[in-house]
Amino acid sequence: MNEVIGTKTFEIEINGRTCQARVGETVVDVARRIGVDIPTLCHDERLDPAGACRVCLVEVEGQRRMQPGCAWRVTPGMKITTESERIERHRRVLYGLYQADHRLDENGLPVESPNENELRTLCEKTPPLVLEPVHAPRRGRDHDVNPYIKFDPDLCILCARCTRYCDEVEAVSAITLAWRGGETTISTAGERGLLDTSCELCGGCIDTCPTGALIEKKAPPLVQLQANPTQTTRTTCNFCGVGCQMDLHVSGDQVVKITSPEPGETLNDGNLCVKGRFAYDFIHHEDRITEPLVRGEDGELHPTSWEHALRVASEGLLQVRQRHGPDALGFISSSRCTGEENYLMQKLSRAVFGTNNIHQCAAT
Amino acid sequence: MKKFGANREEIFHLLEQEGEVTGESVARVHKATGVPEADIWGTAMFYTLINTSGKRVRVCDGLTCQMLGGDDLARQLEDKGKSCERVSCLGQCDLAPATLDEEMELVTYGDRRTCVTADNPGLPMNLAGPVDREMQALAAARRMDRQTIIDEIKASGLQGRGGAGFPAHFKWDSVANQVEQERYVVCNADEAEPGTFKDREVILRQSHLMLEGLAIAAVAVGARDIFVYIRGEYVNEVRALEKAIAECESVLGDLTVHVVRGHGAYICGEETALLESMEGKRGMPRLKPPYPTESGFRNKPTLMHNVETIACVPSIIHRGGQWFRDQGRTEPGSKLYCISGHVNRPGVYELPLGVTLDELVEQAGGYDGNPLSFSPGGASSGFLPMKYRDLPLDYKNLAEAGSMLGSSGVVVLNDTVDMAEAVAWQLEFFERESCGQCAPCRIGTQYLRRQVHKYLEARETGHLNMADDVSWEMEEGSICGLGMVAFKPLETARKHFPEAFSSPNGKPS
Repeated sequence: MNEVIGTKTFEIEINGRTCQARVGETVVDVARRIGVDIPTLCHDERLDPAGACRVCLVEVEGQRRMQPGCAWRVTPGMKITTESERIERHRRVLYGLYQADHRLDENGLPVESPNENELRTLCEKTPPLVLEPVHAPRRGRDHDVNPYIKFDPDLCILCARCTRYCDEVEAVSAITLAWRGGETTISTAGERGLLDTSCELCGGCIDTCPTGALIEKKAPPLVQLQANPTQTTRTTCNFCGVGCQMDLHVSGDQVVKITSPEPGETLNDGNLCVKGRFAYDFIHHEDRITEPLVRGEDGELHPTSWEHALRVASEGLLQVRQRHGPDALGFISSSRCTGEENYLMQKLSRAVFGTNNIHQCAAT
Repeated sequence: MKKFGANREEIFHLLEQEGEVTGESVARVHKATGVPEADIWGTAMFYTLINTSGKRVRVCDGLTCQMLGGDDLARQLEDKGKSCERVSCLGQCDLAPATLDEEMELVTYGDRRTCVTADNPGLPMNLAGPVDREMQALAAARRMDRQTIIDEIKASGLQGRGGAGFPAHFKWDSVANQVEQERYVVCNADEAEPGTFKDREVILRQSHLMLEGLAIAAVAVGARDIFVYIRGEYVNEVRALEKAIAECESVLGDLTVHVVRGHGAYICGEETALLESMEGKRGMPRLKPPYPTESGFRNKPTLMHNVETIACVPSIIHRGGQWFRDQGRTEPGSKLYCISGHVNRPGVYELPLGVTLDELVEQAGGYDGNPLSFSPGGASSGFLPMKYRDLPLDYKNLAEAGSMLGSSGVVVLNDTVDMAEAVAWQLEFFERESCGQCAPCRIGTQYLRRQVHKYLEARETGHLNMADDVSWEMEEGSICGLGMVAFKPLETARKHFPEAFSSPNGKPS
């Protein structure tokens, strides 16, 4: 849980510029509001600051050591420096260390990922000190047969956003940091596949991962994405009534990936569930029903108009009630309906047909 | 799912009962505690005493054991069909080379016996002296005003003996003045700095003195629960401690002493990592501030001290702060110096703070061979050349020499040792013991160790070209003290022994 931000404001200085800050805010909070860029990797506003990646170190007047801007709370009169020779050297060597512990492309940069590799972006901006690789003995989970989430240890920077997200936001705690030192990796209890853990396959770990060490197994590989760039379309998830917003990534006429809008933008705050993020195969499935059908005298289903289909259904229901009484009918609504739609369904059942046989699939 | 509290603190105990850490045993511990399975697994995998199943002999590869035949010993044991694991310093440098057998009992192979200063009632700790089971200083403290006790500590000039040398009374004052009334006293007995074994001797010989000091601290800061976090490898010491606690239960009265055993992680000697470990978590240091005096164990104000620091307290109360201060030469108090390596009588000697290496070695029976270098305060202090043999071994002088007194685990190396190889041993230690949380330390320790090994293979100094930059970043960018000093062995050795890091053509790096 993040610190409560107060309403009382006071002045601080960032790079010599006076600005307003509030009790409880961090250096990164204030800097971002006034448009000063402080790089971060392990920071996710939904999580407690970890200060672990060390990318956001800034100079705070009166402090001998540089301090993590993501975790350092501002106080009245504080003077912050975000650009200096010392900070520049720190970034160059730190990025160099990360590079020495990362899979690189032919240009010696951290590899591109189907999702953005923020480490690469940082290294492009501030050329790192070139160091020989360390070949850390990090273990992956190649045996994990879950259909959705893939972990590539060679791209992991151990920022622990995924494990902290799984714990602090989802309260699922399926993944953990395990081992220590250079062997530290993202693991599960007993190094089991995610299907054999408490994981709900929400994919939030993929979403928060800054380097692409966690990616969607179903998404097209990088080369394909580079050849056919995707377009995104914002839409509302129709799996339930919550109304999560999501971005469909469309390549040609195919949905190839679904992500959430950035945290803070929409009501789902960057989160999606397993259905919203991964259950999009139905869109292009050959069995998908795309128009109303009515079973004819021949026993086969035939396309028809909505008007005709609804008339056939209501006549059928009325006939059953007439012959066998209202309790011969039962109504089942779907969790994909909104609360209002479910209300109307029970009204139809009770007020129109006169039976209490009404149920909804999410009610048990 | 509790993040804090008793359930999470229970997991080590339950895992020990299970006997091994497997997916199945973790599931059972999860059922008993409600702590998520992944958290239990991730925590267990952090600690070397529980993260691998199966019985084996643990062979120390600390600096002194390496110098005195640790490698040969491991080979001999393996030839006899024993399964061996090389482990970080076991704190038995005076008895090197040392092992823990399959049942975790200490077995040493050196032909030496531990030496301590002879019984002298004039010494504040007097390890060889009689044990005061009555705890007279505690009785005196109970009659004193809390502030008077703290003032006495201030007058003594007592500095933290764990390594940092921070004035003790600041911590006492801070904890005593917190608004929160639930407070704890924690004793850091996770002695694991290579070359250091002084706390071991305090616990084995004078547990009562340490418990008395803790009790006085608890009285002064208003705590009822005292925790002693002791490294898991110290099996005999745990027994001694538990026996002493049982003996002095009635004297301690309403104070309760809890023994918490570590499970194999040097980093848990860092105070906030120690607190995380006590709370049943991975031993990853916290960001500071807040400091433990404000938010420590269970996020309550916590007074934390090293064993030796706390063992100084009874004599300070008993004979006065000024008396204790006068025991020092360049800085206040007496000091337990551990000395091992190439000296004739390694051991723990209580001497005035600020004696020189030559004086210390005189106590230890003189140098063995021709001394080349010494490490004044554990691996973290790096190496100094013999030109510093007359430098007072205290906090200030050693810091000015680019080293530190640290835990005062002094190791002497004679000219049979290759300094570059000695550096590699120390770097291996830090690489293995880095918690892995922050990149400067996690990647920096791996990088430096690999580069020194590459240098050793070819004696090609080019491999060390970037070492200064990486060391600088480790010091500037790491979260805790481990990363901030892990490069010291390399840095100091290159500075003082350039010939050990030169190319075949004699060109220094």
